[in-house]
Amino acid sequence: MNCREAVEHLYEYLDKELTPQVEREVRQHLEDCQPCLEQFDFEDAFLKFLQARCRGRCAPPELKRRILHELFGE
Amino acid sequence: MTEPTTPGTPTPVDDRRESFEREALVHLDTLYRVALRLTGNAADADDLVQETMLKAYRAWHQYQQGTNAKGWLLTILRHAFINEYRRRARHPETVDVDAIEPFAVFEDLQEEDPQGRFFDQIVDDEVLRAIDELPEQFREAIVLSDVEGMSYEEVARILSVPIGTVKSRLFRARRLLQAKLYDYAVGMGYIKGSRA
Repeated sequence: MNCREAVEHLYEYLDKELTPQVEREVRQHLEDCQPCLEQFDFEDAFLKFLQARCRGRCAPPELKRRILHELFGE
Repeated sequence: MTEPTTPGTPTPVDDRRESFEREALVHLDTLYRVALRLTGNAADADDLVQETMLKAYRAWHQYQQGTNAKGWLLTILRHAFINEYRRRARHPETVDVDAIEPFAVFEDLQEEDPQGRFFDQIVDDEVLRAIDELPEQFREAIVLSDVEGMSYEEVARILSVPIGTVKSRLFRARRLLQAKLYDYAVGMGYIKGSRA
């Protein structure tokens, strides 16, 4: 696998959406290619940052009360 | 003549309620986060989630227990949003999302910040604001995949598009979001950058 092919699979690799065979090929490429590894690490850091920044919000307790009241009359 | 019910024996109504609480209500936070990003404000998000739960409870007999309740609920939520809220939403869709040529932030920062440390300096509200500025098709792909961690297949089913479309939207959405955050970080002086 060359750099162009590896980068084409970048997000699928990070999202764990590749077949085991292709995933192995990407991983092998990254072991030998420092520039690609840096790019993959950068994108990986971005996705982790995104999830960490956005997962914190929870539904307000008042909304849950409203829903329970409407559904079950409580 | 109906059988007398023994006190303490679960009735069909109890069962329905119990299974709904166990399989549907546990996804309330996910529904709320997605609704917030779709509608762009807390009051509409509240109403959209409430309406979704009401519709889901009425249709609960159609849901196959043990299958993907989160996906099923999000599909209901999205339909309700499209039918009733989109017209009033802040971002009428006027851009051709497929024509957006994404800017590669990594290439620009290869020398200055190849590990993307500047991301850590950006606060939650700024990230959410940047997501809210994305075109709706990008926003929903990002929220379902990156915030809620759903698979391409689940996202494709909820959005009623092929998996290939999910991939290409996610690619463009992530690059566009990176570019927005990059511009913000340059503006704040977190990074120098080179983009004019």
